[in-house]
Amino acid sequence: MYRYDEFDHEVVQSRVKQFRNQVERRLKGALTEEQFRPLRLQNGLYLQLHAYMLRVAVPYGTLNSTQLRQLAMIADKYDRGYGHITTRQNMQFNWPELTDVPDILQDLADVQMHCFQTSGNCIRNVTSDPYAGAIADEVADPRPTAELLRQWSTMHPEFAFLPRKFKIAVVASPNDRAVIRAHDIGIEIKKNANGEIGYHILVGGGLGRTPVIGQTLQPFLAREGLLPYLEAVMRVYNRYGRRDNKYKARIKILVTETGIDEFRAQVDAEYETLTPSDIAVSQDEIDRISSYFTGPNYENLSDESEALKDQIKNDDDFSGWYETNIMPHKTPGYAIVNISLKPLDIAPGDITSGQMRAVSDLADQYSFGEIRTTHSQNIVLPHVKKDDLPALYQALKAEKLAVDNIGLISDIICCPGMDYCALATARSIPVSQAIAERFSDKTREKAIGEMQIKISGCINACGHHHVGHIGILGLEKAGVEFYQVKLGGDSSENTAVGDITGPGFSQDELVDGIERMVDFYLNNKKDNERFIDSYRRLGLGAFKEVLYADR
Amino acid sequence: MSAKHKGKGPQALTANELREGFVVWLTKNFEWSLEFEHALLTEDVDMIEKMRVFGEAQENENIVVGVYFIDVDPDSGKPVRYREKFRVSGPTL
Ligand code: SF4
Repeated sequence: MYRYDEFDHEVVQSRVKQFRNQVERRLKGALTEEQFRPLRLQNGLYLQLHAYMLRVAVPYGTLNSTQLRQLAMIADKYDRGYGHITTRQNMQFNWPELTDVPDILQDLADVQMHCFQTSGNCIRNVTSDPYAGAIADEVADPRPTAELLRQWSTMHPEFAFLPRKFKIAVVASPNDRAVIRAHDIGIEIKKNANGEIGYHILVGGGLGRTPVIGQTLQPFLAREGLLPYLEAVMRVYNRYGRRDNKYKARIKILVTETGIDEFRAQVDAEYETLTPSDIAVSQDEIDRISSYFTGPNYENLSDESEALKDQIKNDDDFSGWYETNIMPHKTPGYAIVNISLKPLDIAPGDITSGQMRAVSDLADQYSFGEIRTTHSQNIVLPHVKKDDLPALYQALKAEKLAVDNIGLISDIICCPGMDYCALATARSIPVSQAIAERFSDKTREKAIGEMQIKISGCINACGHHHVGHIGILGLEKAGVEFYQVKLGGDSSENTAVGDITGPGFSQDELVDGIERMVDFYLNNKKDNERFIDSYRRLGLGAFKEVLYADR
Repeated sequence: MSAKHKGKGPQALTANELREGFVVWLTKNFEWSLEFEHALLTEDVDMIEKMRVFGEAQENENIVVGVYFIDVDPDSGKPVRYREKFRVSGPTL
């Protein structure tokens, strides 16, 4: 696990002191709200629909058990006993009081956490594959690169006032689990024919009101060139990105308007003016960072576990969970465990303080104290012995954390929507629950198989609806919520923006329409086709007809 | 920030508490309440002007932030705008 160095430690501590002083001055009136707002936002503190909201950074979705326990303490002491995992792998608290926030920041700093880069027009917290360092299909561990980017981007003076926010995601496997093509910069770590590691750099992806899929800027950038090259990209964006119109300020608009080839030429020209060695970090530094991610002390195990086999044979509930929630680990005898935060009765991505503590204890007991958050708003224990899976399952079940729906229709990505968000146009949480409820029959849910439903409560698309197999956008007209449907989006390495169907639906009509489409898929699927495969084969027209059958 | 009202029909004055952040409405005693049912609803332009002056002063005195008027439906006594209804009811769950 990465540990903060002396520099980080000092910066984080001094930021807490600064903010305490800023809050005092605000309360005394020495700072107006207008002056204070950017200061609180730089510490992740928003004023939302009902209250303040504090967004805590979870760099590349990596937490240790001590940190999650501290988040549980914060949830109990200052909030309402729960937190919420966001689609950028961070954790939000929905009810902190301004007067408590300096203490919360101190409590976070005590466990090497903070709220940097969770708001504002800066390079935001870098996201990554939640299975990093564990999954069998990766060519390298993406975390050292993500950490390098974190260190480079944190408080980089040139990037504190970008035209707009800037999101970077890094993966190191051909299976994209971080939606890198929907990021301002997406990075895929690759191995070439000579066995050398390099970077596939994508630029200009994004969701929001104008969804764009990232394009290749460099197919294979040499390792040492990463920071200088990205610095050149940021400079071009900083210079030419539009500041006159908030809706045209993201790099996706610049890249689209400039054209990828011309944009690349501009980056190359900028690169020529840089002294790469001033920006690149030394091999020693890279080695130092990498050494924090060498992985835990795995036992030498056989990949076959008799205990696991027996349990699969004798316990249907367990085997159902095993089938959906477990991913292959690169180390023999180990497995990656997904903990679903999508039970029927709780908002997607919410986790209570009790559950946080339970997960922390289980991580200590079974996963070397390591925990990950996912952009799908779930949690991962990355390194669990196969022999331990039956016991872990029982313990998770006792905490209502053993829902077996990872990747299925009820594993819905859902933004907070009108239930919490000041920008929302409609609610999203109740819609997600109505859908999960409708498909709550386990046999049916498993028969439907892989299905990504994604819901956003407004055009900003935090719920990733553009890239859902079924994407849902909540809108409002004359005081009535309605929901527009997109079909055929894909958040995997085959990223696709969904097709717009047509006029929106009420919540009830929507759930009926989804059910008709699902039945249509089940009746027409060929062989092992997933919903998305059948959609691609049969087309928008066929599904649209079923969706609007009631009209 | 100006709280000038541009709405129609009965008005209520709302804001967030600066310290706690919670949503509040102005009552007939010119105090802030966490309960919408205690909100002062009025169409009286003189009263509305008094509310505005008070609200802006409270903002300057760092008691509340983001003061503004909302339209209230005269029949139901509930806010007209969808978003404001949710500020009254709180999260669904
Ligand atoms: S999509 Fe809209 S409603 Fe949902 S969290 Fe983002 S800004 Fe808020």
